[in-house]
Amino acid sequence: MTRTTQITILVVLLALLSLFYQGLWGDPRHIPPVLVGTRAPVFEGPDVESGEPLSSEQYKSKVIVVNFWASWCQECKVEHKNLLRLYDEFKDHPEFVMLGINYQDEIPKARAYLQRYGSSFPHMQDVKGALAIDFGVYGVPETFVIDKQGIIRHKWIGPIVDNVYTNLTQNVLTPLLSDPTPALRQGSGQATSPSVRPERSVSEVEGGSGQAT
Amino acid sequence: MFRLAPILIFLCFVSLTDGVAKVVDETEIDQQVRDIAKTLRCTVCQTENIWESGAPLAHQMREAIRERVIQGQSTEEIRAYFHSRYGDYIMMEPPKQGVNWLIWLVPFLLLFGGGALLWREVKGWVTRTPPSQPPPALDEASRRRIERELHENQ
Repeated sequence: MTRTTQITILVVLLALLSLFYQGLWGDPRHIPPVLVGTRAPVFEGPDVESGEPLSSEQYKSKVIVVNFWASWCQECKVEHKNLLRLYDEFKDHPEFVMLGINYQDEIPKARAYLQRYGSSFPHMQDVKGALAIDFGVYGVPETFVIDKQGIIRHKWIGPIVDNVYTNLTQNVLTPLLSDPTPALRQGSGQATSPSVRPERSVSEVEGGSGQAT
Repeated sequence: MFRLAPILIFLCFVSLTDGVAKVVDETEIDQQVRDIAKTLRCTVCQTENIWESGAPLAHQMREAIRERVIQGQSTEEIRAYFHSRYGDYIMMEPPKQGVNWLIWLVPFLLLFGGGALLWREVKGWVTRTPPSQPPPALDEASRRRIERELHENQ
């Protein structure tokens, strides 16, 4: 075996080993959020508590925080007080709205959950989980931020706690709400505002637990 | 009454054939749902497709596929929908494009390279092996001793 062949084999083996090594530290549950930077799905459904119809149409031109949750999800209970806190912090902003989406749940249990843990913003039913698939959700809790143009700007898989809360409020919501760009009418294609570009790095933060399996 | 008999028989026949047609349609839908579901990965499982998985999300996805099949969407349209929601990750077979080509080609390249290397090494061993030598000739003293011992034993 010549010296060149030996070096080639060594380089190939090292390259493969480095790939395997990198793979060892990856989260097998991680799915690249392909929807970030694209138009949010249109949604409509009944309110969990009142049964009144809710739809994306009524939230047009607003910055929307969409949180998928379920009464059977333990991690949702962990983050719930932070969701109430988040709503309290931004509720006075005229362009801020928050919507919970109750994922694959029994409505009486969902209502009991909201009565027990508190409810200050509307929650929509997604009993069959069809909307969750539209949003590319694969477990709860998952949180999305949609900008005034209807573009998904942020996705977080797992509970909104500690640094995640700080990042969401300071680095995502505050810039989006202070963005003076007028909202575009709903239409096809992608839109971006000049001050806050879709940041996959923010949205693709690794981690998150409590996925439904 | 007898005049009505052919009409009744005809109506029974029509209702029966309608039932058969529905069964056939349902089977075709099931078949299409299964074919599509087998090509999509269960996103909350490890290396399991939607059809085989028992996870609730996989069940929802099967239902979503069924609804779209009933709506008349083609297999490719349904696969494209799931791909648009979950990306390449959801495809059991990664699309043959971009970096994904590495997944398809590297195993064959490694197999070919390894095979070539092995062939070369084995060939080297064969050519380097010296031919077998004949046993050394018996010296005169040894030959005499053997003959003597054979003679003595007879």
